[in-house]
Amino acid sequence: MLQVKNLTVGYGKTEVVHNISFHVERGEIVTVLGANGAGKSTILNTVVALHKAKSGSISFDGKDITNDRPDQLVRKGIRIVPEGRQIFPQHSVMENILLGAHIVKDQKKINAQMQSIFARFPRLEERKDQLGGTLSGGEQQMLAIARALMTEPSFLILDEPSLGLAPIIVTEVFDLLKQINDSGVTVLLVEQMANSALKISDRAYVIETGNIVLEGTGEEIRTNPDVAKAYLGNVQKM
Amino acid sequence: MQELIFALANGSMYALMALAIGIIYSTTRIINFAHGSVIMIGAMTSYWFISTVQMNYILAILSAIVINILLSILIYKTAVEKLGDLTNNSSWIVTLFGASIIIDNIARMIFGTEPKAFPFLFNGMDIRMFGANIMVHEILMIVIAISIGIAYQFVIQKTSFGRAVRAVSYKPDTARIMGIRSNVVVLTCFAISGGVAAIAGALIAPLTFASYTMTYAVGIKAFAAALIGGLGNTKGAFIGGIALGLLEGFVGLMIPGGLKDAVIFLIMIFVIIVLPGGILGAKIFNKGNIAAEKI
Repeated sequence: MLQVKNLTVGYGKTEVVHNISFHVERGEIVTVLGANGAGKSTILNTVVALHKAKSGSISFDGKDITNDRPDQLVRKGIRIVPEGRQIFPQHSVMENILLGAHIVKDQKKINAQMQSIFARFPRLEERKDQLGGTLSGGEQQMLAIARALMTEPSFLILDEPSLGLAPIIVTEVFDLLKQINDSGVTVLLVEQMANSALKISDRAYVIETGNIVLEGTGEEIRTNPDVAKAYLGNVQKM
Repeated sequence: MQELIFALANGSMYALMALAIGIIYSTTRIINFAHGSVIMIGAMTSYWFISTVQMNYILAILSAIVINILLSILIYKTAVEKLGDLTNNSSWIVTLFGASIIIDNIARMIFGTEPKAFPFLFNGMDIRMFGANIMVHEILMIVIAISIGIAYQFVIQKTSFGRAVRAVSYKPDTARIMGIRSNVVVLTCFAISGGVAAIAGALIAPLTFASYTMTYAVGIKAFAAALIGGLGNTKGAFIGGIALGLLEGFVGLMIPGGLKDAVIFLIMIFVIIVLPGGILGAKIFNKGNIAAEKI
């Protein structure tokens, strides 16, 4: 579904991502694993067109999207839940959700989608008039996901959804991602602390300083001793 | 009474001009230093449409609005987007000043150096009110300014466009992944600002004469009003504008013309020393008072 070929990205003269290729197939959950500064976020931001690629190509559903604008990608069904959630703190929860549906002009469609979002996240409905900045971290993550779901994307990208969340909330978030995936949405995840992410992943890539060093199924990566040592803490005892 | 209405009318135009500065500032954190020139072009083109093309007053102002919108888009496309990258540096400070100088000199070539007497709306008809003769034009200035202020506030707070403007002002990149075209939103804000400046320029011109020097004679007061009230704050723009208008009227009664502006700007400097963020505090949407502390 998503095909990234020989992607090189840099900031000014510094190259951050070197000649990376990976792919995500329809219906999969794919995790990209890597330490801080490995270039994970850069890859995602390039996929959603916030960065320009230096070279290489990105295609989605067989069509080249390398030079698309972010809003065109949203229309094509690619949404990202950015790192740190990026809720608009001075917009109400309701307004945040409506911003997610900015490209939808049909008011009926927005209302219907809003109802299904509220059915899934009753907490957000309770707090719809509160300012986004007053929500807790977990609620903000739910809001960030809800906001992205407003355009019913077929491809959802999440940049470190577990960042700064309590373990119990992290479990909740990953359960939710599994549900979203089961409903037919392809998911691309980037994680640093990756045990829970790998458990729900079909496949995974490991990135180090801008290069892919390992790829395999979620289970293969999770049980790989090197990966376990580097990213998963004491997973082997589990 | 006449003096008071005159001061209020002038003040409401300063408020509109300050609002136009604020429209751009609160979305992009750019202070449009070419704003004075945009106001001047609004006044001069509407004068030209009235005197040379013999257009009706309202139609002339509408045409001036269109020209000003195009001018503002041009300023954004050249001085901001191409020459001064608004995310990476502050080149726009110089490029916008440059744009202002270029526009002023082009205006001087086209319209000449002679100040022009700008006609009043309804031929300067006045009505008797509060025991004084008050010009309809002045009343309309106040009414139009307040209506535009309310309309702007409504658009920003209640509409989908306003929501997008506030989102872009908070983080342009996050707005973009919502599917908002951030640079189109910014461009639209420049256009709106230009349109508002045209109205303010054309309405104040009968009281000040229209000439290419309006950039400094009038434009600088727009910045003063914006700073006194609080940059980017709609209510602040009105408080700053009206305060400046009243101050001007009051000082003008006691001090001869040449010194008047000097005294006004001294008072402005004093206000900024005491209240660095302006009376209501500088406001970037979503950033609250943080911006005021930074100044």
